[in-house]
Amino acid sequence: MTQYILRRFLWAIPVLLGASFLVFWSIRWVPGDPAIAIAGELATPELVEKVRAELGLDQPLPIQYGIYLGRMLRGDMGTSVRSGLPVFEEIRIRLPRTLQLTFFSLLFAAAIGIPIGVLSATRANTWIDALSMIFALLGVSMPIFWLGLMLIVFFALTLPSWLGLNQPILPPTGAGTWQHLVMPTIALAANSMAIQARMTRASMLEVLRSDYIRTARAKGVPEFSVVYNHGLRNALIPIVTVIGLQFGTLLGGAVLTETVFAWPGIGRLLVDSIGYRDYPVIQGTVLVITVGFVLVNILVDVLYAYLDPRIRYT
Amino acid sequence: MRTTRFWIVLLTLMGLALSACVAPMPAAEAPGAPAPAVGPKTLTIASGTDIENMNVHRVTSSPSFSVLEHIYETLFYMNPEGELEPLLAESLEPGEEEHTFILKLRQGVNFSDGTPFNAEAVKMNLEYVLNPDNGSAFAFLISRIREIEVVDDYTVKLILDSDFAPLAAHLSHGALAMVAPSALEQGNDFLANNAIGTGPYMLERWDRAESVTLVRNPNYWREPPAIDRLVFKVVQEDGARLVEVEAGTVDIAVRVPPAEAARVDANPNVDVITTPGLRTIYIFFNVTREPFDDVRVRQAINYAVDVEAIVNQLFNGAARVSDAPFAPPIFGYKPNPPYARDLEKARALLAEAGVPEGTSLVLYHPTGRYVQDALVADAVRAQLREVGLEVELRTLEWPQYVPFVRAPAGENQVQFAMLGWSTPTMDADYALYALFHSSEHPPGFNGAFYSNPEVDRLLDEARTTVDPEVRRELYAQAIDIIWEEAPWLFLYSEVQLTAIRTNVEGFIVHPNERLIATYADKK
Repeated sequence: MTQYILRRFLWAIPVLLGASFLVFWSIRWVPGDPAIAIAGELATPELVEKVRAELGLDQPLPIQYGIYLGRMLRGDMGTSVRSGLPVFEEIRIRLPRTLQLTFFSLLFAAAIGIPIGVLSATRANTWIDALSMIFALLGVSMPIFWLGLMLIVFFALTLPSWLGLNQPILPPTGAGTWQHLVMPTIALAANSMAIQARMTRASMLEVLRSDYIRTARAKGVPEFSVVYNHGLRNALIPIVTVIGLQFGTLLGGAVLTETVFAWPGIGRLLVDSIGYRDYPVIQGTVLVITVGFVLVNILVDVLYAYLDPRIRYT
Repeated sequence: MRTTRFWIVLLTLMGLALSACVAPMPAAEAPGAPAPAVGPKTLTIASGTDIENMNVHRVTSSPSFSVLEHIYETLFYMNPEGELEPLLAESLEPGEEEHTFILKLRQGVNFSDGTPFNAEAVKMNLEYVLNPDNGSAFAFLISRIREIEVVDDYTVKLILDSDFAPLAAHLSHGALAMVAPSALEQGNDFLANNAIGTGPYMLERWDRAESVTLVRNPNYWREPPAIDRLVFKVVQEDGARLVEVEAGTVDIAVRVPPAEAARVDANPNVDVITTPGLRTIYIFFNVTREPFDDVRVRQAINYAVDVEAIVNQLFNGAARVSDAPFAPPIFGYKPNPPYARDLEKARALLAEAGVPEGTSLVLYHPTGRYVQDALVADAVRAQLREVGLEVELRTLEWPQYVPFVRAPAGENQVQFAMLGWSTPTMDADYALYALFHSSEHPPGFNGAFYSNPEVDRLLDEARTTVDPEVRRELYAQAIDIIWEEAPWLFLYSEVQLTAIRTNVEGFIVHPNERLIATYADKK
């Protein structure tokens, strides 16, 4: 097992190299000149040239890539073109916020989504099932942006006015306390929750039809234990995969939520940087997201082994 | 055994992730609690974007200047009425020698770290900006200064390479504010994260992408402000900003979308105030290319486009139809009768100029750079169809767009294109010279390649004339010619809509997009 994990980590190196290569080249294919973005729209062509030289953008691309890799290996992610601050610093400030939001969203999504899926599967084709799946459909199809604004309006304006308060129930935007976390968590979780509920339902339905469940029931195992100990544990494998993938997606894809709730995370940092052609920040942020994705994937593989003792890595 | 170890590892990982999450959180505040009316007063402003960094000489955006101009002060202050007032300077007079100016400084002003503001500080700041290694985007404002001499502690001699009347107006720009020499000496990394100025507030903390908090400077040289603490909170999303101001979790919200203005204004606790902006949006014609080399075609297009309808429909009236090449708050403004829509006249002028029906044209426009820019371009396209012109719209992303429309003569592909021009110095020189003087053809900003010797002469003369009334007259003449020759399709100037809680008094939204809380109070 240890050996397997070690090997997985070694494999992560070419993945990261590949990702750095793709990001480096793809952002340079996108038209637009960071030198102009920095020098400002009023700048003279000479100033633009000077800025370009300062950023090393006047070098041939392969040399630029070499310099970039060399710096990366020394742990130097460069300096943000826009703010003039170290990229590492920019990411260090925001990454915890994104991790926090992602983590709680997934926790929340799983805590609601999986039980709904189980409920749906055990009451398949009843009104409970129908209701749960309508709920899931809503979750999948509701745009995060809209849901976020509706939550803000509800908790900051509508509900307080019903209750006769002149203060919002929850702070509409920002970060810093657990209250700030509630609305972004719900908004970000809605989609994952719905997907998890549907996955759980499908997976559970299949498992509940298998022979060993019938055997367990025939042996007189209590229904709760049949469903949760025997059924759910075996149904979890595809769900864990999905959750793992969702973690990666949420890590980079929390942009909308982060924008609506003014949540200072790396999703917003990435999007702002793309608009500004802030190459060092784009490269650094994508790299960090890739690392997150790789780590979660390793974790998921390890979880498989725990969930299904038949899976053995050598 | 295996299971136990697994759980230990998993829980440790989660714990690590969580502790990483929780550790750097700033001290918790009550959820969205507005500052109580008694005790220290806090004014919270929901701004659309975070500041770039703390180096006032290097930042370029209005939101950055809005924050930093509470910490830093300039030599002169351009008030919202467009009048120049002395601030850290007492006066700027022409010197005895040719092309020199004598700058007298206010005495007894200290930076917030206790070091004195004096002639040496002015010299250091201006030289910092002029040094190309420091990458100050606004260095061009004072690029005519050749030498800066310290005469005595409170007198500076500026030696220019030619006379330059708008110098004092240019010195009122935030990018030329005075930073403590003790801070300048510590280099750009220090300046990006710290701020030591003479202003009414001092930097308390900057939570990147979240907020900037300023506290009152206890040793401020003028009357201290009434508000103890200013918070500039970053809320990008328009809707969220509005909810915040309606819920009272912030006191001021910038950039109210025009479509929401009436609804928010109806809230008894919130006022939406309108401030004229300094940015004029226009479409320039490349006057060196057919068919726009004919003045009749340019006039015809001005007659064919109904700017009033565009302003009403796309901006809910929150924009001002242009009656000059720049907006009214700017010194030198002189209105002309707008080209009111007249399709008959437009068709007649086109026929006279020999432009057949169905002529195709290409209009370039930015997308997302200015409010509703792409929709305005589309409205222009639709309206020009009514006089038989087929306009094809093309857009480029902003970083590409600017060099494209500024390509020099040989490479320039523009027929006509949309741009905006803001005049932060509030002086006609800034508003006209770069756009209409023949020495400013691309790569300068005279994208129209407009060239008229009389306009050149008037602009040159106004630039070196000191008497404001004479300057005003010179600009009026230049504007009349430009209006008549129509190198632009004159569109509109932007208007700022700001939502303010009714218990806030004295808050200023400056036409140059600066938010000024120095004179504000909260009831």
